Amino acid sequence: MVIFARFKSFWLGTLSFAVLLVLWESLVRLGWINPFLTSSPTDIAVHFVRQTQSGELSVNLGVSLLEFALGFGGAVVAGILMGILMGWYRLLEYTLEPFVWFLYSAPLIAFYPLFVIWLGLGAPTVIAITFLFSYAPILVNTASGVKTVDKELLRAAISFGARRSDLFFKVVLPASVPMVMAGLRLGVGRALLGVVVAELFGATAGLGYSINYYGALMQTTDMFVSLVVILVLGVGFTQGVAMLEHRFDSWRVGHEQ
Amino acid sequence: MADSAPKAGRDVSSFSADSRWHKPVVGLISVGLFLAVWEMAPRLGWIDPFYTSAPARMYSVGLEVFQSGELMENIRVSLVEFCWGFALALLAGIPLGLLLGTNATARALLDPLVTALYCMPRLALLPVIIMWLGIGMESKVVVVLIGAVLPIIVNTMAGIREVDPNWARAAVSFGASRLDVFVKVLLPGSVPAVLTGVRLGLGRGILGVVIAEMYVSVAGVGHLIVTYGAAMRVDHLVFYSMLVSVFGFAAVTAVGKVEERLQSWRGD
Amino acid sequence: MAHIQIENLSITYQSPQDGKPFVAVDSVNLTIDQGEFVTIVGSSGCGKSSMLMAIDGLIAKEGRVLVNGREVNAPGPERAMVFQEFALMPWRSVLQNVLFGLELQRWKGGDRIKRARHYVNLVGLSGFEDYYPHQLSGGMRQRVGIARALAVDPEILLMDEPFGALDAQTRDVMGDELLKIWDREKKTALFVTHSIDEAIFLGDRVVVMQKGPGRIKVVIKIDFPRPRAVELRDEPEFATYRRRIRDLLSTEVQELQRIKEDSHG
Repeated sequence: MVIFARFKSFWLGTLSFAVLLVLWESLVRLGWINPFLTSSPTDIAVHFVRQTQSGELSVNLGVSLLEFALGFGGAVVAGILMGILMGWYRLLEYTLEPFVWFLYSAPLIAFYPLFVIWLGLGAPTVIAITFLFSYAPILVNTASGVKTVDKELLRAAISFGARRSDLFFKVVLPASVPMVMAGLRLGVGRALLGVVVAELFGATAGLGYSINYYGALMQTTDMFVSLVVILVLGVGFTQGVAMLEHRFDSWRVGHEQ
Repeated sequence: MADSAPKAGRDVSSFSADSRWHKPVVGLISVGLFLAVWEMAPRLGWIDPFYTSAPARMYSVGLEVFQSGELMENIRVSLVEFCWGFALALLAGIPLGLLLGTNATARALLDPLVTALYCMPRLALLPVIIMWLGIGMESKVVVVLIGAVLPIIVNTMAGIREVDPNWARAAVSFGASRLDVFVKVLLPGSVPAVLTGVRLGLGRGILGVVIAEMYVSVAGVGHLIVTYGAAMRVDHLVFYSMLVSVFGFAAVTAVGKVEERLQSWRGD
Repeated sequence: MAHIQIENLSITYQSPQDGKPFVAVDSVNLTIDQGEFVTIVGSSGCGKSSMLMAIDGLIAKEGRVLVNGREVNAPGPERAMVFQEFALMPWRSVLQNVLFGLELQRWKGGDRIKRARHYVNLVGLSGFEDYYPHQLSGGMRQRVGIARALAVDPEILLMDEPFGALDAQTRDVMGDELLKIWDREKKTALFVTHSIDEAIFLGDRVVVMQKGPGRIKVVIKIDFPRPRAVELRDEPEFATYRRRIRDLLSTEVQELQRIKEDSHG
């Protein structure tokens, strides 16, 4: 029954996607909506192939992925390290917490022009924005993972003679892995948002740049090519990290596959 | 993290709670210190004030733009855009979330679409939306809407689905109808998750209105930010950047507090 | 010879609500001999678990705890604890959990893995070495907890309601098996429980505690020969012990009732 239900929901989901695409295509073909504004699935596919063959897509994708990797990679390293320190040293936590929550909840894009003044227009600013967007969720989750380690486990370790470094390496670190993974899942989406938005505002290459560029030329179909790629990246990254999280998480929830 | 044996009785207590005032006081001191360094560093010649401005200048800029009327007029524009967009997000998001949470067929049909949109950076649609709706208020409202609505849908849906099925069973055993179960069990049971969605949506919505105004517009705080940025007028730029940031921070924190309060009332 | 000597042990907590001090254990004196199995029974809140934590050196105390005549204030390798909620590291397999104590104590006495395997077998978990705690039942998890404690070769086993989280049947089986293991390993054992039957069945002596503040009410010697079998619980003498302890604990309830009424009237 469960398998049947899952099977059914998979097909219903696929069906709804297909219906959406067919509807879109037909409305354009029937002349009910203007393809200049909405493009159409077949046009997008044709332009996708053209952009791929010309190498344009791979250049833009490459630039965006590199900026993403540097910004998000930096946020992962810095966020985990700082999160561990903040979770472990309470004074540091209290000192930095207002700034961290500010980073977490403020619309940081407002500082984009300031970054342009500091770093110039282009890749460095995009990387900085990407870093800033994804840093806080990783840090906050890591810190709370370190802080909320089960006291009974710490007590057991101390009872068996753990030193402070043992507590850290053998209890606190492994115990906080699931929370760190949850932070990465939140961070990865925000990092991608950071790359795309920063590229929209000012860049010379990248998927966001491409949307902005074709937008200015009113070439809807080419805009949609980049949008589709961004959609796929968003789903792929998030699901990828979610799967990774699930693997590391199995012991925490206590569910069997 | 000195490599020494923990002292008896102290060990676990270093992870326990300490006095209530400790945290806000340290936080205040540290923010104060940050502002002091920001203010003093240019004066001492450590950094060029052109790049960083300074807190005291924020005050004079604030006074100036307030008196000229620039501040209130642009805040009004941004707030109106934001409120329309966010109100629509609530009106659309909560019912849709409730539907997806209670109806398996609707969920099967729409869940993949919702998940895909939830995962993607929806602000990438900004140029398309501008092309469709122009550079006026409508496009901003829609940007806020698509930014805020998905977290609200997804969390409301999750909230309904995570209501303890035993509560519904208990209600049914006392003779509740399907409507009763929905109104008396599922709806109140999902309130905390809906609030979480509202908080996340709020953050996304504020980000949306700022980005949309920064991208292209004729008025609004985001518009001022890019204008002053392009003119390299860092004092004004930093003032407005801080303004929207503090607003976003305060709004999200306020909803977070309501969430916390509610959870402690309910003992979740 | 006295293996553990508890002198004037008092434990005071700060109440987390109002910060007022709360006396959990009040001037307890107790001497436990080498190889003795002592059980501590009392209603919840009588400070029996706190006492065990203090003996292990996990919480602050007043008074003295002497092991082999030497005062102890921190955990040491001669004592090992079995926890009520098992306290197994969820990311470690059964074998790795049993190795945990050996790692922390920088065990030098030969092959750690061989030793860990030995104790996994001893508690009846051979074949489950690579399972993770969440894949095991409560009873099996506590077997891991016991193996982890035994593996570091302590002189003293401290057990804090180790079967408190288990269902009644599993509980009896575990008690029976614990005695079999104890017969072979010959440790001094201090076992906290709120089950009167468990306390009588396992103990050479039963320490009955009262609460408000936690004090020793009486220590009862249990005159059953060892090894003991499950059927012991059906003996008339067992029933006599049971009735006596139950009466001691219920007079406490009545007394508390009386004090309450007095203070209200």
